[in-house]
Amino acid sequence: MTIYRYNPTKNSHCTHNVKEREVIHVDCASHIYPDGSLGIHDMCFYVQKNEIVALCGPNGSGKSTLIEHLNGLLTPSKGNIAVNGKSITTEEHTDLWREVGVVFQRSDDQLFAPTVLDDVMFGPLNMGLSPDAAKTAAMEALEAVGAKDLTGKLPNYLSGGQKRLVSLAGILAMKPRVIALDEPTSDLDPVHSDIVEHLIFDLKNRFGISVVIATHDLDLAARIADRICLVRQGSVVAEGEPAEIFYDEVLLHETGLKSPQIVRVYLAYCQMLGIAVNYHPITIEQMIDAIRRG
Amino acid sequence: MHDGGYPVSTTSLSDHIPDINLITYYAETRQTYFSRVSPWTKFSLLILIILLVTLTRNLFILVCLYGVVLAVYAGARLPVRKLFAWYALPVIFVISLAGIMAWNEPGNAIISFSIAGIPFVLTDNGIGMITILLLKALIVVTYSLFFLMTTRYQHFSAMIYCIFPTPIDQIFLMAYRFLFLTLAMASSILKSVRSRGGGLIHSIHTQGRLFAEIFALVFIRSFERSERVHKAMIARGFSGSYGTAAEIPKLRLSEYLFVFFCAAFVMAVALIPSIPGG
Repeated sequence: MTIYRYNPTKNSHCTHNVKEREVIHVDCASHIYPDGSLGIHDMCFYVQKNEIVALCGPNGSGKSTLIEHLNGLLTPSKGNIAVNGKSITTEEHTDLWREVGVVFQRSDDQLFAPTVLDDVMFGPLNMGLSPDAAKTAAMEALEAVGAKDLTGKLPNYLSGGQKRLVSLAGILAMKPRVIALDEPTSDLDPVHSDIVEHLIFDLKNRFGISVVIATHDLDLAARIADRICLVRQGSVVAEGEPAEIFYDEVLLHETGLKSPQIVRVYLAYCQMLGIAVNYHPITIEQMIDAIRRG
Repeated sequence: MHDGGYPVSTTSLSDHIPDINLITYYAETRQTYFSRVSPWTKFSLLILIILLVTLTRNLFILVCLYGVVLAVYAGARLPVRKLFAWYALPVIFVISLAGIMAWNEPGNAIISFSIAGIPFVLTDNGIGMITILLLKALIVVTYSLFFLMTTRYQHFSAMIYCIFPTPIDQIFLMAYRFLFLTLAMASSILKSVRSRGGGLIHSIHTQGRLFAEIFALVFIRSFERSERVHKAMIARGFSGSYGTAAEIPKLRLSEYLFVFFCAAFVMAVALIPSIPGG
């Protein structure tokens, strides 16, 4: 897979993706907020079954706005968004939240119920499950994220990491096809960041859920994403595999980002020894392997 | 939230304002006999206490009731010193109202003077009235705090859900957590003021405008937060109502009997003319 560059000014429709595996298709969608500011602009984006896509871009580039479109919280002023082949702009698709769950950046905004269990049960109850079935779904989700012991606690007394896990459980309990996480590891300590990172892998590998993460933490994106979409000024400007995207320093610079730490270390190593950059390692293991091979 | 027996630091705005975090801490962690009593029993007794203090003016009954309520509060290993500090607001409230009415009550004069020809007489009945109203207020405040500090929030919210009709129950359920977040926000702003030498009380003369701005900031931020919370609820299919899964511990036979005898006592105070104040 090579880097695919979009040109929003030419209104290039996303025609290159594999349609039969597609879960979400955003076709040249634009959104302008009531105050006149641009949220997204001719955005082309797609999510396939069982993949982890990372939306990488600087603050204010439109990542969060796009995520809110995926769940139906916002609808595009122009263009089209289809989930499972159904257009949310032309058809009645009011229950989009059943298929695409969103974990917000600030867990405090997501946890509002009196107890953890009540909060995780909130979604399943809205889906029409009986209280018993909703409780079972909530307990399973809490167990899946390793937060079963928090069941009776008040959200107020949870740590930031625990709140993030409970927020994730609240979405997982609804068993959506896609989960979108906005800055999933921001403000977390390294231990909880690791836990969340492993959970994102679990969502894909154990539960078969497609994952979209919006982040400016390129190290995280490099470790977990199957595909990277670079976002700038409300549009996806390029997409490709992490190993390709993160070694294109010019592209990253144009987008307002810096290469992940591993990439910078490896490039500095190659420069120091005066050797060609033959490999594109993006994890520690890959870098060790590349150094061994010389 | 630790579960040890050592004193807990508080995060309240003032020592004289009940600290919602501390109240919740005691409710969630204390494991005394009173924590195990059904919340319905404690709630029934709260209703009976309110009825009793409304019906009686008998000083002896009120003093005994205050003594019992205070003993129960202390017996539940709740912080008595803090309770006395928290009395400041109800005491100020009662004195500011009854303090005006107490003057010129009929009875034996204890203090009398006149200002610009207008006589002011404080009688024994006037002092009695203040004492009775103070006792009534402190009984209800003490028991309400005891109730809140020995009832886990999940039981409390489930009771609200059972008792109140929609949308009042929804407002209560959502407002509680929101109250925590808003207080935390106000507290963090106040910390920022204190960290630079300011203070809630001693800066108010010089920086009254600053406090107005803090109030406005808390309001605006709360509004923004409520929008974000609402968005997060819509994202999970919120359609106008939600409930709680907690099960409230049921009354035991002994609790039924106790509530019954207490209710009988209140009825007796209300109906039997030989009990003064009934």
